[in-house]
Amino acid sequence: MSVVFHHTLPPLKKYLKPNTIEEAVSLLSQYGKDAKILAGGTDLLVLMRSRKIKPKYIIDINSVQEANGINFENGSLKIGAVSKLRDAELSEAIRQEYHLLHDAVSQMASVQIRNMGTVVGNICRASPSADTLTPLLVLEASIEIASRLEKKTAAIESFFTGPGETILKPSEMVTCIRIPRLPKNTASSFLRITRVAADLAKVSVATIVTKQSNNSFKARIALGGVAPTAIRAKQAESFLNDKPLNSSVIEEAAKLAAQECQPITDVRSTKEYRRHICQMLVSKSLSECLKRFERNGDEQ
Amino acid sequence: MKQSIKLYVNNEARELKVDSNRTLLEVLRDDLGLTGTKYGCGDGECGACTVLVEGKPICSCLALAASFDGKKITTIEGLATNGNLHPVQQSFIDNGAIECGYCTPGMILTAKALLDENPNPSESEIREYLRGNLCRCTGYVKIVEAVMDAARRINGGKKHG
Repeated sequence: MSVVFHHTLPPLKKYLKPNTIEEAVSLLSQYGKDAKILAGGTDLLVLMRSRKIKPKYIIDINSVQEANGINFENGSLKIGAVSKLRDAELSEAIRQEYHLLHDAVSQMASVQIRNMGTVVGNICRASPSADTLTPLLVLEASIEIASRLEKKTAAIESFFTGPGETILKPSEMVTCIRIPRLPKNTASSFLRITRVAADLAKVSVATIVTKQSNNSFKARIALGGVAPTAIRAKQAESFLNDKPLNSSVIEEAAKLAAQECQPITDVRSTKEYRRHICQMLVSKSLSECLKRFERNGDEQ
Repeated sequence: MKQSIKLYVNNEARELKVDSNRTLLEVLRDDLGLTGTKYGCGDGECGACTVLVEGKPICSCLALAASFDGKKITTIEGLATNGNLHPVQQSFIDNGAIECGYCTPGMILTAKALLDENPNPSESEIREYLRGNLCRCTGYVKIVEAVMDAARRINGGKKHG
């Protein structure tokens, strides 16, 4: 098989640079399937250079001020569609309130890519192993979607439909994501395994554990890189529900989580290895949460 | 379709008409003749195409030139002042941190951005910040030493915080 290698990008009919979301969605309704939104470009230009996609129109949203910024608004943290991964990494709000998301973004790719790529772009690309997905799944983020005709909100859990696929229609764009505040007495953790530091994860795991007044716990667990989309490990979560947290309960939950995943074999790992590592990471991640409670019962 | 853009490259305003599918890297190299910036992988993995936009390192091979209208761009050609090399450039030479040289412009620009943000980085902070710049001659030890030496030169031997 011969591989044709291109330095250049395929030709475009038009480069468009709207200043508002209203203008952007109006362009999307006009050009639909032939258009692509440009925010960071770190995935888009790679896909264009390899000719996997050939959009005729690029709608560059970097001048849309209302889509920029990371700040608390009406009790939730809003991350705008053009906010860079590096902005998220340096955000004091994210570092203090959602340190699992801080851990995820600050480990991603390289400083160059983090200066360009966006959190929302990472979600829209919908790689099953994208690093922001598992933290955002356990944080139960919501995704705001706009088209020329309507604005709607989707739960992140319903957003991904397959590898590289989401519920977004060609006429729609994500304008921001919102992350609810965490309850008191919550500990969280993000862990991943990669080939080399800057690579996409083989497996990633995010957990959030909340201690209830009767000293039992509730947990949310998300798994990346082990199914067609990043997923919540619902059986492991319900097993942990209202139980005390100790090492034998954690081991059992990790086993259940490993049974819930459907990993594949690819260039990064075999499916057997992924399943094994998934169990290890869930166990380690929950244990880290437990340790945080033992250190200071009311973290975050 | 051509776009009219204005870039402030190495402190000089450059007005250009560029095809909308052209990357910042292509415009810098082919239109402005600034061939210090290299094409490496085209995927954002290697960092050979690193330039600074408003002081921050990015991969110019993944940047549409039209999107950077009005921005301040620094390439390797813009680091020396009045014929004097920037301390990071001089340190790379003095520490033997250059082998084939292909990664060097990107390495030096990323290192400059690091030292602007963090004048006294530890060795692990240097390795972490430079992890998006690959050296296929594998001369990393001398590169890290050069960045530490550059930090000392810039700080005039003073140890910060």
